[in-house]
Amino acid sequence: MSRAKYLGKRLLMAIPVVWLGATMTWFIIFMGPIDPAARLLSEGQVRNPAAYQAAQTQLGLNQPPLQHYFDWLSSLLVFDLGQTWLLYQGSNVNALIMDFLPRTLWLGFWSVLIAIFVGVPLGFYAGMRSNTVADYVASMGGIVWRAMPNFWLGIMLLALLGSSEAIFGFAWETVGPDLLTGISGNPDLTQLGTVDGFLRATKKVLPAAIVLGSASMGNEMRIGRTAVLEVKNQDYVELAKVKGVSKRSLVYKHILRNALVPLVPIITSEAFLLIGGSVLVETVFGINGIGYLFYQAAIQGDLPLVGTLMYVFILMIVGINLIQDVLYTLIDPRVGLEGD
Amino acid sequence: MSETLLEVENLRTVFHTDKETIHAVDGVSFDVSEGETVGLVGESGSGKSVTARSVLGLVDDPGVIEEGSIRFRGDELVGGNWDQHRGDIAIVFQDPMNSLNPVYTVGNQIKEALRIHQGLRGSEATEKAVELLEDVGIPDAARRVSEYPHQFSGGMRQRAVIAIALACDPELLVCDEPTTALDVTIQAQILELLDDLQREEDLGVLFITHDMGVIEETADRVNVMYAGEFVESAPVDELFEEPRHPYTRGLLASIPGRNAEGDRLPTIEGEVPTSTSEPTSCRFAPRCDYAFGACEEVHPGRVRVGDVDTDHEVACLLYDDTFEETPPEGGVEAHGGESA
Repeated sequence: MSRAKYLGKRLLMAIPVVWLGATMTWFIIFMGPIDPAARLLSEGQVRNPAAYQAAQTQLGLNQPPLQHYFDWLSSLLVFDLGQTWLLYQGSNVNALIMDFLPRTLWLGFWSVLIAIFVGVPLGFYAGMRSNTVADYVASMGGIVWRAMPNFWLGIMLLALLGSSEAIFGFAWETVGPDLLTGISGNPDLTQLGTVDGFLRATKKVLPAAIVLGSASMGNEMRIGRTAVLEVKNQDYVELAKVKGVSKRSLVYKHILRNALVPLVPIITSEAFLLIGGSVLVETVFGINGIGYLFYQAAIQGDLPLVGTLMYVFILMIVGINLIQDVLYTLIDPRVGLEGD
Repeated sequence: MSETLLEVENLRTVFHTDKETIHAVDGVSFDVSEGETVGLVGESGSGKSVTARSVLGLVDDPGVIEEGSIRFRGDELVGGNWDQHRGDIAIVFQDPMNSLNPVYTVGNQIKEALRIHQGLRGSEATEKAVELLEDVGIPDAARRVSEYPHQFSGGMRQRAVIAIALACDPELLVCDEPTTALDVTIQAQILELLDDLQREEDLGVLFITHDMGVIEETADRVNVMYAGEFVESAPVDELFEEPRHPYTRGLLASIPGRNAEGDRLPTIEGEVPTSTSEPTSCRFAPRCDYAFGACEEVHPGRVRVGDVDTDHEVACLLYDDTFEETPPEGGVEAHGGESA
């Protein structure tokens, strides 16, 4: 089976997943315990039947469920759910998401990158030098790092950076690009094209990205270490050694590629977490990102916003899954494109 | 007279664990000459594989070659000098499923050795790789060269491993139970292949197995290993006709078919002890039917037996003139033969 055909098949298989996810979101909000109409009204108006009726009509909640469902689903498919019900009332859903999403993607991008570029090499390093002091330090560090909760680590990091001048003797704000707007808050993504703007935006999300990526970093380190340990004692590595392969080639050609195989699903599953699991970190660091937006929309029952966000999440996750499978076939020839 | 390739003298390989020190190979000496096959036979745990790994410089932490000398064409290898003779000694491992790197094509792995040892690159290397695969009896080699190990059967993989060994242009081939994981018909084919290659290239072969039948077919000279020591060494015909050590006799008696009378196959009760200290007695004594008082007190040295020119040595007090006990007429019988 060609790769294109395989991708086509996988995309077809993704349709039911997307449909099911979207439908469940509609069902939970429309049929669930949250009453968006009641939230639209003030305390006094809730007991006024006429006002409540008017609110229901305004949101379209008194339509027959199936009709509402099909209208909603068909609009969702083309990203046309109009305006929010409650949150930033009356704003266009898509515009709102486009405003919030880049900040989260920027944060997620650096979290994933830091986790991969610190966690994986550290794990491989520890694995290659198993049971040495370097390994113990790296492994212990990984476990401790992994065990620290996000929100606590975030607060501690902010506290340290906030008084860095008193503790370390230099001010974090002025090291490298200046952070004129404080050490936390929204990164300015409008100047990404310029070197200075890029550095500034990166420095701004860096503490948040380190915190958000900390758990993944620890995980990737542990799995990377185990994977290297497993591979480096395989017969084929010894055979390569007997063949006279240089140490460098032994590590980079024969060990690392095999050790990457178990790491791929770990890395991609961490990527899911980073999209959705950033509410706490975004709150602590004061970043108006999608995690915060989604949380607010969900507890208030803002169906157009929740639905569209869920749709975006589902599409991303399906996409990441697809990338994972393609990566597998690139790294490990034993994973074929055939079969079911 | 062909030249001596490998000289192993008083080799001691130990493994330091938290609890104890395991003497896996405890003072063995042997030579391998051009065109000669030296067999190493013994039960699981007797130290055969560790001997092979020591010769190849594959003993890793916590194992260490504590004493002794391994010389290849006169060059001392112990102390980390394997690198200058990489490729001169090749290995065929027991498990063909693990001997090839799963993420690279068979051709890639052969070409790697060709590049290192014969300086071949590009299409020249590919041609040579195809030629080697043909030499080891892989049909349709031109296509097979670009396939991955998982597309090969067990027997074919072992052939590919042999092709890799040949690509190193070795002088000595170490075969560590090369046919144990294969079924009997494939085993015969592989043995025949090894035999042909040895004659063509005048290779020295160190052949390790627990199968007395295989050793009888392949070896010129046999060393019987028990608990890290050679208990008997002799030319193959001599050993099979006139085994001296009770352990060798036990091994021979337990080959099905050699011993037509009796309805039960004789066995040697018990198992190989793990040597954790310097020997103060015969390590086989607890399992030996002919053990006498001194066996528990004296560690037997090697004594020469048989004709002067047969070079037959045995480490057993029964043959040591300083002790009064003499071996029973007609040789010792393995335990279990008549008692069944």
